[in-house]
Amino acid sequence: MIARRGTGDRLLRMALPKGALYAESVALLARAGLDVGALADPGRQLTVRAGDIEYIIGKPTDIPVYVAYGGVDVAIAGKDVLIESDLDVVEMADLHFGGCRFVVAERADAPRSVAEIYRHLGVIRVATKYPRITEAHYASRGLQVELVKLSGNIELAPLIGLADQVVDITATGRTLAENRLRIVDEVLASTARFVANPVSLKTDSDRVTGLAAALAAAAAPAEEG
Amino acid sequence: MQPVTPRGFRDVLFDEAREREIVAAAITDAFGAWGYEPVETPVVEEYETLRAATGGDLDRTAFRLFDLDGSLLALRPEMTVPIARVVASRLTDTPGPHRIRYVADVFREHASLRGQARQFTQVGVELVGTRGPAADVEVVLLLIAALEVAGLSSYLVGIGTAEVLRALVERAGGPAEWRDAAIAAAQSRNLVELDRLAGREDLTPALSTALREVPRIRGGREALDRCDALASACDCEGVVCELRQVWTTLEELGATANVQLDFGIMRSFGYYTGMQLEAYAPGLGLPLAGGGRYDGPLAAFDRPAPAAGFALGLERLMIALAEQERTPRLEPLDAVIGGTESAGVFRAAARLRDAGWRVRVAPGRTGMALVRDADGARAIEALVADGASVSRLDRTGGVATPLGDPVPEPPRLTWAARGGDER
Repeated sequence: MIARRGTGDRLLRMALPKGALYAESVALLARAGLDVGALADPGRQLTVRAGDIEYIIGKPTDIPVYVAYGGVDVAIAGKDVLIESDLDVVEMADLHFGGCRFVVAERADAPRSVAEIYRHLGVIRVATKYPRITEAHYASRGLQVELVKLSGNIELAPLIGLADQVVDITATGRTLAENRLRIVDEVLASTARFVANPVSLKTDSDRVTGLAAALAAAAAPAEEG
Repeated sequence: MQPVTPRGFRDVLFDEAREREIVAAAITDAFGAWGYEPVETPVVEEYETLRAATGGDLDRTAFRLFDLDGSLLALRPEMTVPIARVVASRLTDTPGPHRIRYVADVFREHASLRGQARQFTQVGVELVGTRGPAADVEVVLLLIAALEVAGLSSYLVGIGTAEVLRALVERAGGPAEWRDAAIAAAQSRNLVELDRLAGREDLTPALSTALREVPRIRGGREALDRCDALASACDCEGVVCELRQVWTTLEELGATANVQLDFGIMRSFGYYTGMQLEAYAPGLGLPLAGGGRYDGPLAAFDRPAPAAGFALGLERLMIALAEQERTPRLEPLDAVIGGTESAGVFRAAARLRDAGWRVRVAPGRTGMALVRDADGARAIEALVADGASVSRLDRTGGVATPLGDPVPEPPRLTWAARGGDER
């Protein structure tokens, strides 16, 4: 599948993720000296034109799809979403915000330990929103899993007996703790990235690399969060 | 039942099929003019054959099947390995170099709901048995020729090499894990990870800088000079020497207008061993073509020989042409010919075809029914045969003017000049 966008002079198109990364993305664009226009308060608009960029506001998990298939030239996306999508995009710069960790968590008050369950049943039941990352993690640990993909509130799965462990992202660990889950393993750390479509990088090289440089410069490295 | 095509496969009908035929023929004619000979290979190969020559990625992409003997086969995912197999097994007594062209359907497995086709058509060339800048130039010129005759109004060819990065990584030495990670990061276009790896503490500043900068270099001769300077500062002199000769020749030929040097092109590392090339259409998010110099497959078949080539994706090319409003114009049917007497209709149609007409027969049809047939077939004329004479019908189905003898030239030849209005 390829996005068909017509020819001729066109605006550079950039996708921004709605939700947790949105406000910081807009703040970074402003710090980098870009006209952010109506981006700060887009209301229900899904597209915003500001300066010579057309911004697309999309669901975070869809953004790698927009980029890889060329619907947009560049985007800001979480590393977590990029890994999970497994699509071909160019990762241009680490933007050092939106820090979070992928962790394995299980019930703090479980009657039987996961190790014991594994010894007798030979498989760990795992719930996650991120099947690809999860599968790769357990494979690297040499553990057999039954993986169930859920769409949200992953921390419920152990409480209702659906899963022994969950793989989820956390910034502070508080939601997990509030649901009596404790972190037992680290999977990977994630921050927001500036990514580009591989062809846009070649055919619109100056604008794409210029933007990458401006955003990288404006993105001050922060502490791991 | 309601029959369907399997996911990722599709039927190609009429107008689209003719347009694809025209574009593929224009390109293969251009390759033919360079003395490239066509080759056809089986749709299936032994899985082992493909794996020995490509390794790695095949597991994820090969469309595999077992035959009744239990052999593991795979539908060809591309044509380079099948052609390497042909060269290594069938052409051992024929002196090279071999200049081979193909139009072939290839197959790749994809997970569902990613909007990806599992069968597509590649048009390409392989130049086997010769190395050096002249051979690389030939391949680049063939790619340009293909894009030109296909009718694109705007395109870009990128040429680069993975040898610079490979040399820098070797020069850096250190743990194998670090080197593998650096190559993997470059190949997956993860510049953030490559930057991180370039920060290895024991690297010289020159190496760190070169590792960070080289994958970001693109442009004309100045790009080559920059890359050369960075590599030379790391004692990797001469690593862009061949590419420089390629570029110089292209410049001498005035062929660099749509070509850019790009050290960020990192196609499969295990495969390509020198120049790599890609083609793009602005506004289309995936390359139209890819290829380069590869020596591995033939070495894997115990017939080491230098080889280079590329494949154009016909589907992507057709999309690019449509976007640029350069889809080939299809000539209409000249006529539908009817009449009460079958033999007379066939005889008259044969006479028209001899005169160059494209004619569909409609024995037994006359009058308004025949006019409707001609409209349905988007034919320029509705004709009726009566004995030895052939006449045109008017819009109401009445016999209008005789066609005349000898048969006039096909109306489609003047149709385009008249602005293309049908009938």
